[in-house]
Amino acid sequence: MLATTSGSFRPAGSLDAGSALLPYRGAWNARRAAHLLRRAGFGGSPVEVSAFAAMSMDGAVDRLIHFPDTSQLPAGPQLGEDEPRKVLRAMAMMAAAPGQPAPALTTDQIKAIGKAHFDNSVAMMQWWIGRMIATPAPLQEKMTLFWHGHFTTAYEGKGITASDIVTQNQLYRSYALGNIRKLTLAVSHDPAMLKYLDNRANRSQHPNENYARELMELFTLGIGNYTEQDVRESARAFTGYTLDADDQFVFNPRQHDDGSKTFLGQTGNFTGDDIVNIIFQQPAAAQFFARELLEYFVYSDPEPQLVDAIAWQLKKNYFDLTPVMSVLLRSNVFYSDRAYRALVKSPTEFVVGSYKLFSLPPSDIDQPVLGAMTRMGQRLFYPPNVKGWDGGAAWINSGTLLTRENLASTLCANPQMMQTATWLTQGASLDPKTLSSHIVTQVLQDDISPALRVQLDAYLNGAGTSALGMLSGENFDERIRGAVYLAMATPAYQLS
Amino acid sequence: MQSRAGFLLGSLSGLTVVAKNADFFGRALAQAPLSGPTGPTDNNVLVLINLQGGNDGLNCVVPYSMPQYYKYRPTLGIAQGDVLRLNDQVGLNPGMKSFKAMFDKGQVAVIQGVGYPKPDHSHFRSQEIWQTADPEGYSSTGWLGRYLDAAKLPKDNLFNAVAVSPVLPEVFGARTVDVPALDGNLRGYGLTSDRKAGGAAAFRSMLSDTTQPFNSPYLGKVAEIEANAQRGSEELPKLVAGYKTDAQYPNSNLARSLALAAQMVGSQLGTRIIYVTHGSFDTHTSQKGTQDRLLEQFSDAVSAFYADLAAHGNDKRVLTLTFSEFGRRVAENASRGTDHGEAAPVFMLGGNVKGGVYGNHPSLDDLDNGDVKYTTDFRSVYATVIEKWLGRSSQGIIAGNFPSLPIIAA
Repeated sequence: MLATTSGSFRPAGSLDAGSALLPYRGAWNARRAAHLLRRAGFGGSPVEVSAFAAMSMDGAVDRLIHFPDTSQLPAGPQLGEDEPRKVLRAMAMMAAAPGQPAPALTTDQIKAIGKAHFDNSVAMMQWWIGRMIATPAPLQEKMTLFWHGHFTTAYEGKGITASDIVTQNQLYRSYALGNIRKLTLAVSHDPAMLKYLDNRANRSQHPNENYARELMELFTLGIGNYTEQDVRESARAFTGYTLDADDQFVFNPRQHDDGSKTFLGQTGNFTGDDIVNIIFQQPAAAQFFARELLEYFVYSDPEPQLVDAIAWQLKKNYFDLTPVMSVLLRSNVFYSDRAYRALVKSPTEFVVGSYKLFSLPPSDIDQPVLGAMTRMGQRLFYPPNVKGWDGGAAWINSGTLLTRENLASTLCANPQMMQTATWLTQGASLDPKTLSSHIVTQVLQDDISPALRVQLDAYLNGAGTSALGMLSGENFDERIRGAVYLAMATPAYQLS
Repeated sequence: MQSRAGFLLGSLSGLTVVAKNADFFGRALAQAPLSGPTGPTDNNVLVLINLQGGNDGLNCVVPYSMPQYYKYRPTLGIAQGDVLRLNDQVGLNPGMKSFKAMFDKGQVAVIQGVGYPKPDHSHFRSQEIWQTADPEGYSSTGWLGRYLDAAKLPKDNLFNAVAVSPVLPEVFGARTVDVPALDGNLRGYGLTSDRKAGGAAAFRSMLSDTTQPFNSPYLGKVAEIEANAQRGSEELPKLVAGYKTDAQYPNSNLARSLALAAQMVGSQLGTRIIYVTHGSFDTHTSQKGTQDRLLEQFSDAVSAFYADLAAHGNDKRVLTLTFSEFGRRVAENASRGTDHGEAAPVFMLGGNVKGGVYGNHPSLDDLDNGDVKYTTDFRSVYATVIEKWLGRSSQGIIAGNFPSLPIIAA
């Protein structure tokens, strides 16, 4: 389902369906390379953009699709114990005698549990955002983010621990461009998901339909491609998919309804795995993932012919993503003017891209940055609901845009920035026109209106200040920070 | 228009005040409903509270007189002695004491069994249905968005409607009107450092320029919201800063949102609709602790809100309507929770509401696959609000023919 707040955001013009997926043979330059890096990653630093522009298009895509070794990156965050009983035990505050009901928690105990949870959430976000910034395989992290928004799970309630969430995150990374059907099977056994959508409580005598329903509605088929009866029957098939005492997946035959089920026209003594396999035989599944991929990587509300073409690629490749993305990232439609800046940057893309622009160290991702991400509408590991983030127009409102600008302002005031972002001073000039041109190229790939460019020159030259305010060695530092901030406030910088 | 209103009031009440603050008081006056079409409902405000996640209707307005309720809810059923009785059939969840006090003063209408035909059990689809008032189609506009499009409120007022929400809700989806979404304490709603020195302001004032060397489908939207955000964020804190209150709000997000709502209502911004959220009510497991706490927070926040409004003489100007995407399954599940269901009660309070219990409680003998059947269509509730409170015909806003309910006094 599309975000429907303001109608369609399909680009103007029409699709040339015949050539849409043929390899792009047009000009290859920094602007196209930066586009590829924004879409298949989180944006490139000026150094990366030049390096990718110097390759061929095919070479650049190959570099992104075949992930280099990432074993030098931290494999996971440092987590503390967050299971409430264990937190309290560690604090020696469990007062209940064995066999007695636990006493009501004191305020201090509740605070300790909350703090353990909060500290872990910060550690997880710092770890993952840090990976996105530092990784030599940005598409791997981009796909991990895609799956996090797709098969979404929140680190909130339902007994979900930080280690469940990290395990799930690593599952998504390991399947980044892998097989979607196999990933869906793995998700159906994933402890965080079994908790989040209550399947661990799905028993033959008391079916719980939550997972079975969302599996079809939000994860694989979309509404209208199954009936309420299919939901009930598949919930029966998923009975007994639960967790053992160590919170690991276990199939419990005593809780499983092994009777006959009729699901999407097929009848048998199905298990949950059978349900997943039947789902991926439906034409609607390929259509569903094709639309999701196009909306995430190309543009909003893609034409049905384009969806069909990608759906066919998915079917042809038995839902293996690497060959499909290889076609998509080389295609005419991907590099078309209609796709250019045709998506809204997510808050994660905005933050990671800005850190890369300034080469700021990931260790800098701290509470103010994480708080800003929440206000921009994307707190990682806390999707608003099981649908994940709507994205697109939903990222843009007064509050979120102001937060983006305030964060840009904070980053531009970072004392390290002038040292880490070497491009700021290399090739810089005390001539306002040359300097504004330099900034506009590095930050915006020249995507600025002529009128705004004139205003930026005027700003750099001290318009509205005294004669002493003209651009000089004395005010260079302050002025260039201000000009970069202004460039980051332009519409182009909000768009991918 | 703007300067005329400012001048007229200025000459009556002492010129200097207006002259000194012409910029923002002038605008505030222009935004007060003085300039709109005049009518008895032009000062009325609607507050919409979204109880997100699916509030269990049966444990909110409890049918304690129905034995089947206790049969279906062996562990979750609320004992007769604990229910806050509204009449000899139903009563409120025991967490809702302050709300019960408002009911006793005749300020609360409880509408039972509200829903729609062929109910959808998905959070998103059902939220979408409640927000668009379009159960059969996929409308791209919300019911209040269509009201705003039709009402033609003063165009230069950025605060005709406000969503206290991180993401703009579908209910405000409109063809022509842009609604700001902001957080309850206004933190982050404003530029912390505008780098004003030399020309930054001139640059910023041109950010809405759309003659860019690329043609993005989102460009117009980003440019427009950018301009609105800038102007709105400069004005709103100043406009509401003069509001003084002694009201004691509890510590919850809903209470903070409603405190801001009272501030906006009391500051004469011309705001007609305010949307706030509370939740999550998605209680598949261990429902009791969660739902009781959420309902207590709701009850205490709403009660503080109306005390604040009343202290400023605004309680009769503000009607509050609650909704949730669905009620929950009648039978509790094995996890001491409840799964997604169908019809549920809604509350209408404040304003000219005629307090009481309306509609029929759905039968617990005649279920729709384990769910209660609706007895009042939600579009009748919306039509009532539009016609009796916001003073417009609901034609073109609510598709179909849904009669108003006799809940709001003329």
